[in-house]
Amino acid sequence: MTTPASLPDIDYAGVAPVLIILGAACIGVLLEAFVPRSQRWAVQVVLSLLAIVVAAIALGAYLYTGPQNTSTFAGSIALDRPALFLWGTLLALGLGSILLIADRVVEPGGAFVAQAGIRPGTMLDKEQANRSSMQTEVFPLALFSLAGMMIFCSANDLLSMFVALEVLSLPLYLMCGLARRRRLLSQEAAVKYFLLGAFASAFFLYGVALLYGYANSVKLADIANAAGGTNRSDALLFLGMGLLLIGLLFKGSVGPFHTWTPDVYQGAPTPMTAFMGACTKVAAFGAILRVLMVAFGSTHWEWQTIMWVVAGISMLLGAILGITQTDVKRMIAYSSVAHAGFLLVGVLALDGSGIRATLFYLISYGFTTIAAFGVVSLVRDGTGESTSLSSWAGLGKRSPLLAGIFTFLLLALAGIPLTSGFVSKFVVFAAGMSAGITPLVVLGLIASTIAAFFYLRVIVLMYFSEPAADGPTVTLPGMYTTAAITLGTLVTLLLGVYPSFMLDWAGTGGFVV
Amino acid sequence: MTVSVYEEIAFWILGPLSLAGALGMLFSRSAVHSALWLVLTMLSLGVLYMVQDAPFLGIVQIIVYTGAIMMLFLFVLMLAGRESSDSVVEVLRGQRIWASLLGIGLAGLVVAGVARSLGDVTPAGLDNPAANGSGGPGNVANIGQSLFTRYLFPFELTSALLITAAIGAMVLAYTRKQAKGGKNRQREMVNMRFRENTRPGALPGPGVFATADSVATPALLPDGSIAKESLSRIIETTPVTQIEEDEALADRHPDAHALTGAARDGDDGASIVASPASEERSE
Repeated sequence: MTTPASLPDIDYAGVAPVLIILGAACIGVLLEAFVPRSQRWAVQVVLSLLAIVVAAIALGAYLYTGPQNTSTFAGSIALDRPALFLWGTLLALGLGSILLIADRVVEPGGAFVAQAGIRPGTMLDKEQANRSSMQTEVFPLALFSLAGMMIFCSANDLLSMFVALEVLSLPLYLMCGLARRRRLLSQEAAVKYFLLGAFASAFFLYGVALLYGYANSVKLADIANAAGGTNRSDALLFLGMGLLLIGLLFKGSVGPFHTWTPDVYQGAPTPMTAFMGACTKVAAFGAILRVLMVAFGSTHWEWQTIMWVVAGISMLLGAILGITQTDVKRMIAYSSVAHAGFLLVGVLALDGSGIRATLFYLISYGFTTIAAFGVVSLVRDGTGESTSLSSWAGLGKRSPLLAGIFTFLLLALAGIPLTSGFVSKFVVFAAGMSAGITPLVVLGLIASTIAAFFYLRVIVLMYFSEPAADGPTVTLPGMYTTAAITLGTLVTLLLGVYPSFMLDWAGTGGFVV
Repeated sequence: MTVSVYEEIAFWILGPLSLAGALGMLFSRSAVHSALWLVLTMLSLGVLYMVQDAPFLGIVQIIVYTGAIMMLFLFVLMLAGRESSDSVVEVLRGQRIWASLLGIGLAGLVVAGVARSLGDVTPAGLDNPAANGSGGPGNVANIGQSLFTRYLFPFELTSALLITAAIGAMVLAYTRKQAKGGKNRQREMVNMRFRENTRPGALPGPGVFATADSVATPALLPDGSIAKESLSRIIETTPVTQIEEDEALADRHPDAHALTGAARDGDDGASIVASPASEERSE
């Protein structure tokens, strides 16, 4: 006889932020069907921004009134402090990204193509390049992706994590291919991201299968329990963990799994690059942090050496390959690989201070990235964005304000004091030192120095070389891009000057088991 | 749990078959053959699942994978062109050797690891409700129980995935029809056909005669002359020029009963109806 199934307890107040974003995405899809084409953009922008704000309010209400460290949906979704902090981070960064996506002033009609179905390079395509409309489906897709990211970093079992991984990735693959300019490059980026992402998902899934075979459960806590109490062979555990981590490290564009990053960052429409660079990083590292600490924390003696090597490779690869780049977007992509390595140092501390440092690093890096890509989208010539480094020469003379902001952001990426980048590197390395991974910290310092070289090179290029005669112009940004850049720059400055409140928030608690 | 003799027999038949399918998929040159080999693997796996107390999973495997996904695969292959194949030029030198070495290495590692750790494990079995901790016996009840209790959230979340996929297909494939310059709608096509074309109806089909039934055979009009519209311009074997030459040679008043446009001449049997067909046959 079967017993009647009873629904698990659901903490609706706790998951309200996710449900609001998902619901808004569904409403956005319906609006696409029923709202006249001319009004869609306005309606979608209002809906998306409203959804994020309402979700943030719901999150704030839950933080003050709700219980601490619980989980809901039969333990699938953790509502612990790191998860809620990451939700807040994702919502804030999502707001910035939506602002960049919504801009229609910098590129008339927006950075997204008017009709993706038209073949690139045809007569129709040339005609639509100048039309002032865009595929407004981008907004619901971005919301779906955002919701997937929120679930990804709070998923407490591997099955939910996998579904969330797909929910966050699928819209990203799609949106990468929707650039208005250089469409072939953009579509190539989308296909590359999709194929490699599919491979990474397959690895992830294979790892989940092996771990289920080991622990008879996909819950992170059960895996930790199974690893602790027995003397049977650990081969399945570590094989599964390795495959699982390949999938996760791929999403975080860490070390040797970064090969998609430069091409996709370069090809994707710049607002989407900002969204990927900031939010995907947060989601991926939130998940890596949770998986490593909750599921594999008890066996860390066995695997941590390999992860140190991965972190080291990531830092050095990103820093060294970044030097050779001649394209701004590619350069920031390689810098993100290096930053992924620094982030791993914080993760590998595997204690409370490590969580705090990683969470702080994620929020400060995210805001800097969004602002930096906002600036990149403003430097344009006749064919669209002018991302070649040589065309940025002498920008300081032509547009002092923009060059000043970009200089500040590059200094933040390099980790110079008075920027959030310095504080985040400091706390991450401090956590690494106290956890006893000094060699990795030393390597991190060396890699930071190497990376600082190419950031400074851009600054030198902007201020100390003569502008080219046919160089790019700096477009006057519209309201939305201005807001996004201002937000990112102010947060970068604020967290650099007065980081303690954010560090306190980030360090309020550990993971629920 | 013990392994029964029948289960063992089934395994030793199906295991090699599925392995052969997988290898065949890798090494066959034609994409269609690859897909068919993959079907073999999936069918064998489906039956293996059924043998192992998981009939539901087995049926789903067959319906979804071989039924839906592989057929979709074949459709796509047919649309993309059966002959289109990937370039086999190595962009990175030595890439294939390294890839196969590392691939074999990974496979060895996984197989060795799994074999080592599953060697002395007692399987729980799927028919035992106590072992899998939910519901009653039977696949469907257990899966249903799990879906709506333990995995309720991921189950509901898959709907977001489906919506995304649907929108994605629409965004990438759908183009609005413009009045100017875009693709014509059906109404515009019909209007154009009536306005510009002298023939609003369909073109005549190819001729079907006792002597020939090839699509390359032209149809005859009631007066016995050849309906040139009945020949498709895209069929390369249609010797349109030859018909024109024959027509020039032939009598202007052919015999409709002869079923050949130039039968009156009868000099060398080069009847214009039979010639394209015989030419095609001789190829």
